[in-house]
Amino acid sequence: MDMLHIRGLHKRFGDKEVLKGLNLSVPEHSVFGFIGKNGAGKTTTMKAVLGLLRTDDGEIMVGGEKVVYGQTSSNRFIGYLPDVPEFYPFMTAPEYLRFCGEITGGKRSENEKRSKELLELVGLGDETHRIRGFSRGMKQRLGIAQALLNRPRLLICDEPTSALDPVGRKEILDILLAVREQTTVLFSTHILSDVERICTDVAFLNDGVVSIQGKLSDVKSIYRSDEYLLEVERKEDIQGLMRAFRFMRQRADYVLAFHEKDHALFDVLRYVTEGRVSLSKLERVEPTLESLFMEVVEK
Amino acid sequence: MKSLLAFMKKEWMEQLRSGRLVLLGILFALFGIMNPAIAKLTPWLLERMADTLEGSGLALTGISVSALDSWMQFFKNIPMALTIFLLLESRIFTREYQSGTLVLALTKGLERYKVVISKTLLLVLLWSAGYGLCFGITYGYNAYFWGNAAAQNLLHALLCWWLFGVWTIALTALFSAGAQSNTGVLAGTGSVVLASYLIGMFPGAKEYMPTLLMDGNSLIYGSSDVQAYTLAMIITAVLCMLCFAASIPIFNKKQL
Ligand SMILES: Nc1ncnc2c1ncn2[C@@H]1O[C@H](COP(=O)(O)OP(=O)(O)OP(=O)(O)O)[C@@H](O)[C@H]1O
Ligand SMILES: [Mg+2]
Repeated sequence: MDMLHIRGLHKRFGDKEVLKGLNLSVPEHSVFGFIGKNGAGKTTTMKAVLGLLRTDDGEIMVGGEKVVYGQTSSNRFIGYLPDVPEFYPFMTAPEYLRFCGEITGGKRSENEKRSKELLELVGLGDETHRIRGFSRGMKQRLGIAQALLNRPRLLICDEPTSALDPVGRKEILDILLAVREQTTVLFSTHILSDVERICTDVAFLNDGVVSIQGKLSDVKSIYRSDEYLLEVERKEDIQGLMRAFRFMRQRADYVLAFHEKDHALFDVLRYVTEGRVSLSKLERVEPTLESLFMEVVEK
Repeated sequence: MKSLLAFMKKEWMEQLRSGRLVLLGILFALFGIMNPAIAKLTPWLLERMADTLEGSGLALTGISVSALDSWMQFFKNIPMALTIFLLLESRIFTREYQSGTLVLALTKGLERYKVVISKTLLLVLLWSAGYGLCFGITYGYNAYFWGNAAAQNLLHALLCWWLFGVWTIALTALFSAGAQSNTGVLAGTGSVVLASYLIGMFPGAKEYMPTLLMDGNSLIYGSSDVQAYTLAMIITAVLCMLCFAASIPIFNKKQL
């Protein structure tokens, strides 16, 4: 079953159409990377899912329940970390989590225990100051803690790692990975290495629609490039190869690159065996999310 | 119910920790002390000025003050106290819109109407407590200096003014649900009160207007009787309910 399902979502701000019929389905227990450049509409989509934004057309279902603007009942499944989380500055971190716990209901002792655990988890266990003095990274950490407080079935994080130092980023990614057992995680980002590190599924948002979506491995194999790298042992062979295959490009002293569409791999291999060229390496270039992203954005 | 209490607790904590509660306490206490003090000091002040006044041909004889003078000061000064109160508290909604702090509470499943109820109720409570403090102090001093017997219909006059304050709070809540900024809230509330006042200047219209309730002096001096205020009280109470009832659906549709 899909934890989140969006069909034909439209949203315009004035004369600017940001979402033009966006479709998205987030399967249960996935870690879903929602990728798009600045201003693509990631935050807009997430706010619509939370019922915080009036949409122009389309349907959003969370856990089988329809999202209605201004109503908050479908939010009981969701934990949300906004891109810039804002807390009541006059409270301390434990006070804020207590406030959240009282809003969502549940037993007080259970909430106290859970918030203590979570503050420990996000590295705010010893913080006794008021939120007024928190740095952006600290607020983001508290944001993760509050999002996880009511054990949500869907955790929505808007660029959760953007304000964090490298260590903090790794910690938060590990947390997201760890909660996958209990929840579905949807997070937006433009840090592609984060996606490669923890995501099971991805969707690229471009020009108001989701242009690619699916399992990370599937997406990668569909868009597998046909580029090969060839590394020879003797420098002299480079000249010969480049003469024989016009579209081969030299990448380094001993390395050549070619596309399968220009030169069939078997032709190259025949030349290699017949010419007794000694190879040290032949490899197919794996697509990176970067190359995919560029391809999607430029298309 | 639990989430409503949680949100009210948060509102209370905010009032307390931002120092606004103390400020309001001082404000209303000062106003409470000021009324009898001015009444008490008037003869003395006038006596000190008597020499200069005599020079200009005015003669002062036998000035005496009573609790009535103090109560007159009360009804003259309480509009100022209410205005300061509203200025201090008018950002109670818009502050959260601007900082975005409501987003997390709402995405946790807090129903929007509970936000409106909490904030409105807290304002009414603060107003009631502040107003109570102010007249309590005035009442105490008056009783000590002169006795309060001279003031007629006192409780009724106090009740009228309290209700007027509640009405301005209901307006504040209504305009806060609609407007995005503090300016909108103050402008909206201010213009409705002003409109009520201006319409009340037409003959025959005054007794229907909430602003009639501000005229506590006519009651305590006995120049108007209690019945003359009944209609305005009912209308004001109904308006309060309407404002409150309207602010909830408006707030539900608000883009945060
Ligand atoms: N309230 C608003 N009024 C007008 N335009 C808006 C509003 N909110 C968003 N937009 C526009 O919608 C577009 C998408 O914004 P959105 O914040 O969803 O982008 P994003 O993908 O989250 O970008 P980023 O990666 O920078 O966070 C932007 O071009 C922005 O100008
Ligand atoms: Mg964004």
